[in-house]
Amino acid sequence: MRRIVALLVLVLLAGALPASSAETVADTRARLAALKPKDFPTQPLEFVVVYPAGGGMDTTARLLGKYVEKYTDHRVVVVNKTGGAGFIGHTYLATQAKPDGYTVGVLAGGVWSDAMQKAKDKWSHKNFEAVAFINYAPVTWIVSTEGRFKDKSLKDVAAAIKREPGTVKAAIVPSISFEFLAEQVETKAGGKVVKVPFQGGAPGVTALLGGHVDIATGFLSEYRGHLEADKVKVVATAAEQRTSDMPQVPTFNEVLGAKNMVWSAWRFAAVPRGVPADRKKYLEAVLAAALRDPELQAEYRKTGSIVDNPYANAAAVDAAIDKLAALEREFLAGTGRLAK
Amino acid sequence: MDVLNALAAGFGVILTPANLYYCFLGSLVGTLVGVLPGIGPLAALSLLLPFTFTLPPVASLVMLAAIFYGAMYGGSTTSILVNIPGEAASVVTCLDGHAMARQGRAGAALGMAAIGSFIAGTVSNLALTVASPVLVAVALRFGPPEYFAIMMLGFVTTLYMISGSRVKAMIMLGAGVFLSTVGMDVVNGAERFTFGSVNLSGGFDLVAVVMGLFGVSEILLNVEHLARADVFTRAIRGLLPTLRDWIDSWAAILRGSVVGFGLGVLPGGGPVTASFLSYAMERRLARRPERFGQGAIEGVAGPEAANNAAVAGSMIPLLSLGLPSNAVTALLLGALIIHGVQPGPMLMTQHPEIFWGVIASLYVGNVMLLVLNLPLIGLWVQLLRVPYRILFPCILLLTVIGTYSINHNVFDVWVMIAFGLAGYVLRRLGYELAPLVLAMVLGPLLEQALRQSLIMSGGTPAIFLTRPIAASLVSVAAVLVAVLVLRGVRVGPTDAAAPHPTLEGSR
Repeated sequence: MRRIVALLVLVLLAGALPASSAETVADTRARLAALKPKDFPTQPLEFVVVYPAGGGMDTTARLLGKYVEKYTDHRVVVVNKTGGAGFIGHTYLATQAKPDGYTVGVLAGGVWSDAMQKAKDKWSHKNFEAVAFINYAPVTWIVSTEGRFKDKSLKDVAAAIKREPGTVKAAIVPSISFEFLAEQVETKAGGKVVKVPFQGGAPGVTALLGGHVDIATGFLSEYRGHLEADKVKVVATAAEQRTSDMPQVPTFNEVLGAKNMVWSAWRFAAVPRGVPADRKKYLEAVLAAALRDPELQAEYRKTGSIVDNPYANAAAVDAAIDKLAALEREFLAGTGRLAK
Repeated sequence: MDVLNALAAGFGVILTPANLYYCFLGSLVGTLVGVLPGIGPLAALSLLLPFTFTLPPVASLVMLAAIFYGAMYGGSTTSILVNIPGEAASVVTCLDGHAMARQGRAGAALGMAAIGSFIAGTVSNLALTVASPVLVAVALRFGPPEYFAIMMLGFVTTLYMISGSRVKAMIMLGAGVFLSTVGMDVVNGAERFTFGSVNLSGGFDLVAVVMGLFGVSEILLNVEHLARADVFTRAIRGLLPTLRDWIDSWAAILRGSVVGFGLGVLPGGGPVTASFLSYAMERRLARRPERFGQGAIEGVAGPEAANNAAVAGSMIPLLSLGLPSNAVTALLLGALIIHGVQPGPMLMTQHPEIFWGVIASLYVGNVMLLVLNLPLIGLWVQLLRVPYRILFPCILLLTVIGTYSINHNVFDVWVMIAFGLAGYVLRRLGYELAPLVLAMVLGPLLEQALRQSLIMSGGTPAIFLTRPIAASLVSVAAVLVAVLVLRGVRVGPTDAAAPHPTLEGSR
């Protein structure tokens, strides 16, 4: 008798397992439907991306939109408001977009960089309120497996910079983290690096493969194909800790004994300040549900991003943004780029 | 033999009803956007990109690529019949194509453009098939000094390309370079000539500028001479070129294929530059260069072959390096990434179905376009036969929508209108606009390559002479400049109708 009961329980459990995971989507949909304000949304949601269609941020937003549509009945439209390396779109979101909940910016760290360096006090990152942390990808240094540093570590590279200053060529992108990181390495190593400017990480990687530079700065998504083909090697990541996707690669901080060498594409969703509380809460819940979806997380991992989310709610994301912006302000002020 | 097997597998992928359908759909849409002035492949691809998200990666890429080369076919139709480039790569086709149309030879021009495109498309596909593994290595040897050298060559050849006053062309080149410096400094990110305007911080959007300069100004000019309106309303006869046309064109088509393919492979090059360069080359090589601008068929066949060959050429860095060589292939790259396909050297081994499927689709699409284009030219003509009073407002509307759709910024529309008015005035004053646009495209690339090179060399220009590829390109440019100086810069003809004595004997 007991055996039959046990068997029955097993059968029930086995039957329940797939059913329960299939139900989660329906459950989530029901939970979100209960949270939905009566009058919102009645039109498609607009995800604003300040970089061109087809780029990393665009992909991030489109994937997110797809999974918002999976858990709700709302349509999501991705709008690329491009120009001025993102500044035009940032200014639009901060000063012109209506805080009605329909306009959601899918943003990255560039927004506080622009606020500090270009907005001239017309707006700041405080004009936004976060609704979700999406993912992040640390800035990394890579070398060619056939080049000068093919079997060298970051320590060796730093030593070479000190020993023969002005001979190590690194591909950077001017005025953003890529350049800032190279400057920090110069300070730590005690010698000058030849910083060759490119418009983006990928052209720098190509220059590395062609042997025109010794080091390229970039995100995993910009060189994953070459890494898998064993053409390039990652020497260090500008993350706080070693990342889960490359545990064997050290951080700049640990090799060079620094604390502030932390740079990444830190992606989040935000709305212009002043969205009604019920709408903002609803957006937070919808985005959280979409971002928890394992399929979306797998897609983001495929693009080279790290999806581990250490933030409990939108307020924690706002706090993290404040902290990252402060860290960058300190660097910018320290290098004379910003007054005070 | 491996290549043949792989290509056969590629045909296996493409020759399924669904993929054939998407290839056909892309070709049709591409021809349409090519025909319609104001909407080019870039605008069309960005508008249609979202619709391909639900398709499998192969189908989506096949369709998007078909739009790209379909537009190259379609663009010539509008250039020839209305004297408005259907898209940027057909700008030079206007010169002789429209002249032919005015002589009642529109049919031969259209036919030769389509057949030339087909031959070039197929020839360069063969080259793509065989060479893509090999060419990757060559592309990598192009660093900043080599790019600088090739841009210099681009500027110098422009001076050979123009048919009007050379001094005016130099003024236009200078103006173009200056306009291209508006916006962010490519090296230190500082703003230049923006006067504090947020909208100018990104510089002028090239599509808005081109649409204004060529689209709007053309319409303004045409409004002035409405008599031109009946040029293309005559029946189009004889789409098949005559033996004489073939004799004049075959070499131009082959040269156009080679030039286009080569420029397509190089980053920064692409259909637009290829068509300009091919035209310049044909005129230089012609036995009677004075025929150019007066309806020389090789001035249609060469550039149209070149822009199609460039499409196949630009697939090489895209598919084998994950390196877009122009804005359109950048969008194709984006489409790959959106589908979770990692572009790069591993694409060929990890996703052979995409790599070879797309290459096979280029063969199939070219056949489709030839079949589609020759009979359908009648249909496109009908489309263009709509009276000017209806057609012009529609084209203006399309340019406005097309311009707005790129960045979703109304400022770009104002830029387009301003450049339209400026273009009108400049053309009335006898300034050619092509050098202006070319300088605006090449300017930022030239500046960046120059400054990168000088940073690499620690400030000495010797870097352009110590690297073999850069040195040879610089020497060719220097020789071309020397020839110009010796012949006398000012001796250039002052209007398009005059012959071009300066080009004679300089070979």
